[in-house]
Amino acid sequence: MLRKADSNFAFAVGAALLFFFIGGILTTVVPPLVDKSWSKPFENSDPSQGATGKLVAYTERQLKGRAIYVREGCWYCHTQQTRTLLADTVRSGWKGVRSPISTPDEFVYDYPHMFGTKRTGPDLSRVGGKYDTQWHRTHFRNPRDLVPGSIMPPFPWIVENPEEFTALVDYIQTLGRAKNWRPNGDYEK
Amino acid sequence: MPEDTSRVQASPSISAGGAAVVHEDTTAKWFLISSIAYFFIVGIIAVTIAAKFVWPQLLGTVQYLTYGRLRPLHVNGMLFGWLLAADMGLAFYLIPRLCGVKLWSEKLGVATAALWNVIVLGAVVMLLMGYNQGLEYAELPTWEDVLVVIAWIMFGLNIFMTIASRKYDQMYVSIWYIMGTILWTAFVYLTGNFAVLFATGVNQANLNWMYVHNAVGLIFTPIGLALAYYYIPKASNSPLHSHKLSMIGFWSLAFVYVWTGAHHMLHGPISQWLQTISIAFSVMLLIPVWAVVYNFFATMQGQWHQLRENVPLKFLMSGVVFYLLTCFQGPMHSLRTVNAIVSKTDWIPGHAHMAVLGAFSFFAIAGTYYTVPRMFKCKLFSDTLANWSFWFLMVGGLGFFVTLWLGGFWQGWQWNNVSIPFIDTVKALQPVWLVRFFSGILMFTGIVSFAYNILATIVGAKDNPEAA
Repeated sequence: MLRKADSNFAFAVGAALLFFFIGGILTTVVPPLVDKSWSKPFENSDPSQGATGKLVAYTERQLKGRAIYVREGCWYCHTQQTRTLLADTVRSGWKGVRSPISTPDEFVYDYPHMFGTKRTGPDLSRVGGKYDTQWHRTHFRNPRDLVPGSIMPPFPWIVENPEEFTALVDYIQTLGRAKNWRPNGDYEK
Repeated sequence: MPEDTSRVQASPSISAGGAAVVHEDTTAKWFLISSIAYFFIVGIIAVTIAAKFVWPQLLGTVQYLTYGRLRPLHVNGMLFGWLLAADMGLAFYLIPRLCGVKLWSEKLGVATAALWNVIVLGAVVMLLMGYNQGLEYAELPTWEDVLVVIAWIMFGLNIFMTIASRKYDQMYVSIWYIMGTILWTAFVYLTGNFAVLFATGVNQANLNWMYVHNAVGLIFTPIGLALAYYYIPKASNSPLHSHKLSMIGFWSLAFVYVWTGAHHMLHGPISQWLQTISIAFSVMLLIPVWAVVYNFFATMQGQWHQLRENVPLKFLMSGVVFYLLTCFQGPMHSLRTVNAIVSKTDWIPGHAHMAVLGAFSFFAIAGTYYTVPRMFKCKLFSDTLANWSFWFLMVGGLGFFVTLWLGGFWQGWQWNNVSIPFIDTVKALQPVWLVRFFSGILMFTGIVSFAYNILATIVGAKDNPEAA
């Protein structure tokens, strides 16, 4: 039947589009209609269902910080997803406590999404509250001062701009905090 | 349908074109020349970012030259400045020949080439300034996206009008692939650059990955295969093995590719059933790939000795081998167990570079070597230099791919052993990145010798005339 496409221009165009649209629509338009967790912000108050907490929208300053994270391309080297792998939950964890896995409802306010594809540096999906502001200041000025062997670029122009620096750290401290996973609220500021 | 008939059908339409019609090729020339210039310029950026892995302080205090600014410039520059522009240039060359008519409008074509250069130069400024939308392959601001859409419509109109006025009734495989590229790209690009703007979180990521995956699968794959289907029979002077097999390859590609976007988030925060669908279809990708690759190998039956002397054929057939390998890796990565090791590691750039450089850029380079002397009606400046450019790119490329696979696989094992601190997995990769940097130098040397050879051919065309 498809041999008709050899010499029939309109048939070739029509068939090529039809074949494409079956998969195209079923994998892009349909999934968010089926899986509501993609659009419903995380909220849980029942400890038996896992970590409790509530996803809140970013403040204006946090959005400013997020824009810097996007601008500097942090997301090319840092993923933001604790995958359903044991190693990920341990590495995203802190002080011996494993972190919960990332779920779609934690990212409803993310625009653009920052899941990332490459992990040149560590994953940041639960980095919020692990390091204090002074640590971040020193680290952004020259990462190797705190982490010998790191290949992260220095970002002195962010540290030297108090407004940008505060906004960026404010954003970083939100990462992964919708789920209140640290025991006894043990978070750095 | 007997295979003999298809051989006969395929060969006249591919060899008879151009006998009676005089082709101007102005558009093809402009696209090719500018794409090669970007290949060279972006090659410098590529080597720079490879160096930054080894010497992280390099250019570190210049805001506009950090890794985060240069990487998108490298990716966008190579994809859209070099590869897609070269592919479009070669399409402007081969479509009129396969149709036996002149290009519908050279004026429109030259305007398209000019607009494309505006887009690429705009991208350089925007990305270095940090105007990054934060979506992979879709970093450019919306005004740039609008220009891309306009340029694509101009390109599509020109090609479709040429095909509509064709002299030969039957359309050769390369024509379907280029038509497919134009149609699918339109929707893939709109999804990845406009529809994403209306979604957030996982929904946006899903649209983004659909675009990212299909930018390779439904833009660079079909247009790259269109070139291979044209230049392999041409360069080896042998008819295509099977028309039927090429149909199986084309229509299974059209159906299967678009389903696989979610395999970029395996084990991640996206619905499990969608991950499973993407895995199933990723494995099915073996069908179009093996159909195409078998067809190319069978075409070369009894002709392999030509590889010794024929530089375009060297690029083409090693490109086919890289295509086979990269498209074997792809389905394997999407298996959950393998993915748990290689995903997010340095294996992935090794894989991606084999597809975009090893397969599709090799096809485009072969096409350029074959086409430029014919368009300028002269001999190639130097066959020896062309051969060197092949070996530089081949050895550099293999060094790059293989060290990153080994290094990435090792890195993945280390990540899965939680007793190893993360920073130690970074330090462990230092030797890998050093080898990658030197492989990059070799690849860049290949680019320079290719670009110089083509430039010298064009500049010296009048002094070195020969009807090819």
